[in-house]
Amino acid sequence: MGQSPKAAERAVAVAAAAADPARRPRSSFGPLAGVRVADFCWMGVGACATRILGDFGAEVIRIEDRNRLDMPRVLPIYKGAGARNYGEGDPDPDPNAGGLFNNYNRNKLGVTINMRDPRGRALCERLIASSSVVTENFAPGVMERWGLTYDYIRTLTPNPIMARMSGFGHSGPHADFKSYGPVVQAVSGLSFISGLPGREPSGWGLSYMDNMAAFYNGAALLMAIYHRNQTGEGTEIDVSAIEAGINLLGPILLDVTVNGRRTKDDPNYPLGNRVEYPNAAPHGVYPVRGEDRWIAISVFDEAGWAALVAELGNPDWAGEARFATQARRFEHQDALDALVGEATATRERYDLMHRLQARGVAAAVVQTPEDVNEHDPQLAQSGVFFDLDHPVIGRARFEGTPIRFSKTTQDYWRSAPLLGEDNHYVFTELLGLSEDEYQTYAAEGVI
Amino acid sequence: MAAFHAAGSAAPYAGLKVVELAEDVGGEFLGRMLAEMGADVIKAEPPAGSPTRALGPFAKHVESPDTSLTFWLYNSNKRSVVVDLEKGAEAALAPLLAGADIFIVTLQPARLKALDLDLDRLSARYPRLIIASMTPYGLTGPWADYRSSNLVALAGGGPLNMCGYDDHSIPPINPGGDQAYHAATAFAHIGVLVALLHRQQTGEGQLLDVSMHGANAVNQELGNPFWFYNGVNVQRQTCRHAQPVMTQSAMFACADGHYVYYTLILGDTRAWNVLVEWMDEMGLAAMLTDPEYQDIKFRQDNFHQIQELVECFFLVQDGHDAYLEGQRRGLPIGIMNTPEDLLDDEHLQAREFFVKVDMGPEQGEILFPGDSYRFSAFGSVPRRRAPRLGEHTSEFLEDVAA
Repeated sequence: MGQSPKAAERAVAVAAAAADPARRPRSSFGPLAGVRVADFCWMGVGACATRILGDFGAEVIRIEDRNRLDMPRVLPIYKGAGARNYGEGDPDPDPNAGGLFNNYNRNKLGVTINMRDPRGRALCERLIASSSVVTENFAPGVMERWGLTYDYIRTLTPNPIMARMSGFGHSGPHADFKSYGPVVQAVSGLSFISGLPGREPSGWGLSYMDNMAAFYNGAALLMAIYHRNQTGEGTEIDVSAIEAGINLLGPILLDVTVNGRRTKDDPNYPLGNRVEYPNAAPHGVYPVRGEDRWIAISVFDEAGWAALVAELGNPDWAGEARFATQARRFEHQDALDALVGEATATRERYDLMHRLQARGVAAAVVQTPEDVNEHDPQLAQSGVFFDLDHPVIGRARFEGTPIRFSKTTQDYWRSAPLLGEDNHYVFTELLGLSEDEYQTYAAEGVI
Repeated sequence: MAAFHAAGSAAPYAGLKVVELAEDVGGEFLGRMLAEMGADVIKAEPPAGSPTRALGPFAKHVESPDTSLTFWLYNSNKRSVVVDLEKGAEAALAPLLAGADIFIVTLQPARLKALDLDLDRLSARYPRLIIASMTPYGLTGPWADYRSSNLVALAGGGPLNMCGYDDHSIPPINPGGDQAYHAATAFAHIGVLVALLHRQQTGEGQLLDVSMHGANAVNQELGNPFWFYNGVNVQRQTCRHAQPVMTQSAMFACADGHYVYYTLILGDTRAWNVLVEWMDEMGLAAMLTDPEYQDIKFRQDNFHQIQELVECFFLVQDGHDAYLEGQRRGLPIGIMNTPEDLLDDEHLQAREFFVKVDMGPEQGEILFPGDSYRFSAFGSVPRRRAPRLGEHTSEFLEDVAA
């Protein structure tokens, strides 16, 4: 990558941030206080996993490569970017303005190391030697190329935990297959089981498995730390996102292994918005007033049905014999869904949701990100979203932990690091480089 | 690296006692995760059994409380003890909670109140106990007692808005599996681990209030960031990322009826050349080998034509062939496996992913999905079948009496 014409301007921003006392690393608290993590993770799935460690007090030091920027730094998700898809990036994106990077990397320190320079490799090993956890989600083989196998890391630091996250896991004939969220969802079966019967799968509109694999990796790391606290023993961790995905398919998998069910040529599979068990009906997503506005309604029993019918104004069709019992409604769902949809189409979405809920019917507006953030009093009172300042981005919103702890305090102490923001602190104060060495390394592109 | 073979140490939750009062698969999945890593999980069930025992599909299509595959999947490695909460919930639970480390409870606030089961009071009475409350909306707030379902939770939380078809006259479509519950479980597991680490540090337990609604609201990947930064909402698109604007299809039908997933990124010249070389070897590159296609702008201007050629290219191949050959060439391409396809996958077989579980003399051995994470220092515990209703009640009463 060539030098950006804006490099000087960006360097000033990084220097100012590094000198800001409010952003200076400070001693942490929480259940992971004292755990230092040499974090090679990148992209969404890796960064989202180690964010969990940083949120609960670990000192997570992200190791980045100036010549191969982390994709979330450069996607067109930043203030002022407008309505573009993530493939429509800028020719010279500001790596410090990236919103997705900010979202995934709060509470972490950021350093840059050039692993193509032997001095960079040595510096990296010093960082690992002062850490007790190493994390990575590179394509298989990258860590091996640097010699950073678990066996070698054990010679650098006692009883280390090394978490390796990948799509396919680190053994088996497809271990080096390339993947990202949608590929994992396809191969694990999660995409195929999603859609209307008789059509192509609708699959997933997000990298669900990037998030879920990150949460599983986060749990695996916490489990390993818990185990080490109990026993003193470190461990290597191998997480295959595809295997995690298969564990999320649900009972359909046992229907296959126990009952020999074939889903591929089944004209009634997948189920769309319906459920097979129990025989709930109506159970679907229905139009409400406005363009592309919808409400989800689940009716499981006679009481729910009576309540729905009353809320819809006791229409004549609701009394027809074909809708008289739960079993009959389940049998006549096509007709039922059409009639319910006609009745909801003129209703205001939140008004209908609250009125149905007041009658004891499970219902929710299909909320957009805007709705979730701006129109949802339940989330607002929970405090799951919160704001932090960022030196380049300004005030920004973050996705927190959807858990209230009665004792543990979460410390959201800083937004994401600018590129190399913590180089001086980490390399001189933590690892003991002299000022001269530091300046030489910076000038010669080692860091 | 070879696959890990379970090493010497006991699984990390060995010695932990868990009491699970769960009426949905989210709470049950958390209990299973703890049990698989060594915890002794007692599932407290009402005399009529957990509501999930009534959910199909059923083994060999025989409906009974002990043949629900939903129950089997989410309740392996647990013990079942019948507890009648209607006769005084706290007193009924006391023998189980004495000495317990973790209490999983999925009842919403109104139900807790009706049973006079006060979680703050329990937390004070058992100071080392970690109480994992998992409810649709959390224990506080204006919607705390609203009803939910998997579909309703995905709708309210936001992921449903991102899933469906290009045709927006079709409503958003549920992504399969009970993923709203699974997301809550993933966070609850993290929460329990944080609480275990907190207890290691301080000796104190605590109450965790996990909200399924909140878990789904923060599980939208790009959805929230596009709103936080760009101030725009994403739009659902068939089997690919919801984005602020519509993009080209990334799903390609194959000759054998399978689909493959592949995102054509025209700006990535390396991937472009790999694809065109592959197409050319099969005699299907047409004019894509012409020099003007080396220009990114030219490719972008001719996107529809390229898309059609790629569609034809995949349509003449079998899905698995295209998957394996594309990956061999270094392209991130995925076969859209059906659940039954997974049992024949050579990679999963080599990693011994599926495990046999003995369901007893009537049902025999069946295959379950194996571990979601593997450790060199310790293995999980062998899978045991889900318990029959009340199977361990007398055993438990004897333990208490002893």
